[in-house]
Amino acid sequence: MSAARTLSMRDALYEAPGPRTRRRVRIGTMVSAVVVLLAIAAVVRQFWVTGQLAPRYWSLFLQWTTWRFLGQGLLGTVAVALTAGAIALVLGLLLMLGRMSGVRPLAALCRVVTDFFRGVPSLLLIYFFFFVPAQLGLKLPSFWMLTLPVALAASGVLAEVFRAGVNAVPRGQVEAALSIGLSRGKTMRKIVLPQAVRYVIPSLIAQLVVVVKDTTVAYVVSYPDLMQNARVLITSYDALVSLYLVIAVIYILINYAINKASVAVANRTGVKIVR
Amino acid sequence: MSQEQAAEKNVPVIELRHVDKHYGDLHVLRDVSLSVQRGEVVVVIGPSGSGKSTLCRTINRLETIDSGQILIEGELLPQEGRELARMRSELGMVFQQFNLFAHMSILDNVTLGPREVLGQPKEEAEKHALELLARVGVAEQAHKVPAQLSGGQQQRAAIARSLAMRPKAMLFDEPTSALDPEMINEVLDVMVELARGGMTMIVVTHEMGFARRVADRVVFMADGQIVEEGAPDDFFDHPRSQRARDFLDSIKGH
Repeated sequence: MSAARTLSMRDALYEAPGPRTRRRVRIGTMVSAVVVLLAIAAVVRQFWVTGQLAPRYWSLFLQWTTWRFLGQGLLGTVAVALTAGAIALVLGLLLMLGRMSGVRPLAALCRVVTDFFRGVPSLLLIYFFFFVPAQLGLKLPSFWMLTLPVALAASGVLAEVFRAGVNAVPRGQVEAALSIGLSRGKTMRKIVLPQAVRYVIPSLIAQLVVVVKDTTVAYVVSYPDLMQNARVLITSYDALVSLYLVIAVIYILINYAINKASVAVANRTGVKIVR
Repeated sequence: MSQEQAAEKNVPVIELRHVDKHYGDLHVLRDVSLSVQRGEVVVVIGPSGSGKSTLCRTINRLETIDSGQILIEGELLPQEGRELARMRSELGMVFQQFNLFAHMSILDNVTLGPREVLGQPKEEAEKHALELLARVGVAEQAHKVPAQLSGGQQQRAAIARSLAMRPKAMLFDEPTSALDPEMINEVLDVMVELARGGMTMIVVTHEMGFARRVADRVVFMADGQIVEEGAPDDFFDHPRSQRARDFLDSIKGH
C-alpha cells in the first residue's frame, strides 16, 4: 500500500522506471534489507554481550506502578503539548496578521518577534522563564515555565507557516472579494484565511510534533512529563537503556499518531482546492 | 447625487478624464479619456499590451492611477476605505480567470456580497441568488464548489455573483479569454442578454463578433492610448487610423 504510493509519487516527479531501472531497484531493495537486518542483529548482540537484556533491567515493566508513573508523565506531556500548541496557534496567527497588516511599525515589530522566537533555541527560552520571573519575585508554576517558552518558540514558526499559506492564496481571490465591496478585513477573514489554513493544515500538525519533542526538556523546570518521570525511574531502578528505549517507542507512537491524524484531517478538510 | 438626478442631468455612469499610469518606465495609460452613458455598451479592443485590461481595472481601483480623474455618476472614485468599498460594490467586475471563491459553494459565492456588504438576510439573498443562477443557466450547480464546474459554468456563475450586488455598471476584463472554444458562446449569450436588458457595460475582449453585434461603441486602444472610437459598423468597415487597420488585418482571415 505504502510502497504503491511511493511509486506513484515517483512517477509524478520523475519518469516511470523502465526494465533496467526496475531491476536496479530490486537489487537495491534486497541489498539494503540485508544491511538493515545485519545492523539490527549487531545491536541486539551488543545488548546481549553487555548484559542489557538481563531480566533485572526489564522486570520493572511487569509492575503496575511503573506504567502508572509513566502514564502520569504522559498525561503531563499531553497537557503541556496541547496547551502550548493552542497558545502557539493563536499567537502565530496574530503575529502573521500583524506582520501583514501594512501598518509599518506593527509589521516591523511582529517580524522581529517572529524571527526572534523562530531563531532562539527553545531551551534558552525555558531557562529564561525559569530564572527571570523568579528574580522579579514572580512565582510561576513549573507547568507554565515549560508551556510558555515552548509555545513562544512554536508561535514564531507557525506565524511563518500561516504567512506561507496566505501567500499561496491566488491574488484573484482577493481582487474578486474587493470587487464586490468587501473590506480588507472581511476579505482576509472570509476569503483568504479559510483557504490559507486549508493549505497549511499538514504543516500545522507537523509543527505539533516539534512541540511534543520540545516538551522533553521539562526536567530543567522539574515538571513531571514523560521524560522527567522516566528519569526518576532510571535513578530508582538503575535501568537506563531499557527505560530510554521504551519511552522512545512511546514518543514515536505519539508522533506517529499525530502524523496519521494530520493525513486524515488533510484528506477530510471538506473540498479539495483544485485549480 | 442620486441615480435619478444623475440620469436627469445626463451624467455619464463612468467617466475617465486624462488618466495616466506608468509601470516603472512603461507608460501603460496615456491621457485616456472615456465616458460611458447609462445603458451604453462599450467594447474595448486592441492588441495585447495595449493597456485595455489595465484601463478596465482602474475603474474600480484594482489598479491605481498616477494622474487624471475617474468619476462614477459624477462622483470622484474614492481612494480607500469604506467609500471605496461602497463604490466597488456598485460596479460589477468579471475576471478573465473567473476568480470564484474556491472554498465556497456557488450559492455562497453569490450570496456573500449581498449578505456581508448589503446586509441582506440569508433567505432573501439566497432567493435572489437562485434566480440569478437560473438566469445564467447554472441553477443546478448551486451547491457544488467552483472546481466541479466547467470554465463556462464558472464564468456564468461569476457573472451572477456580480449581478447579485445590483450594480450600476458591469466591467468585463477579457471574460472569455481563458475559456475553451466551445464554452465561449454560452458566456457571450449571457452578456448579450445583459446588454439587451439595459445594463451599462465596459467589455474588454477579443471577440470581434460580439463587439459588432452588441457594442454601442467600439474603443480601439494601442500603446496605452485610445486611438480611435466609433460605432461598431463604422469602425470595423472603415477604420480611420492605420493602427486600427493593421490590427483588424492581423486578426482577419481565419
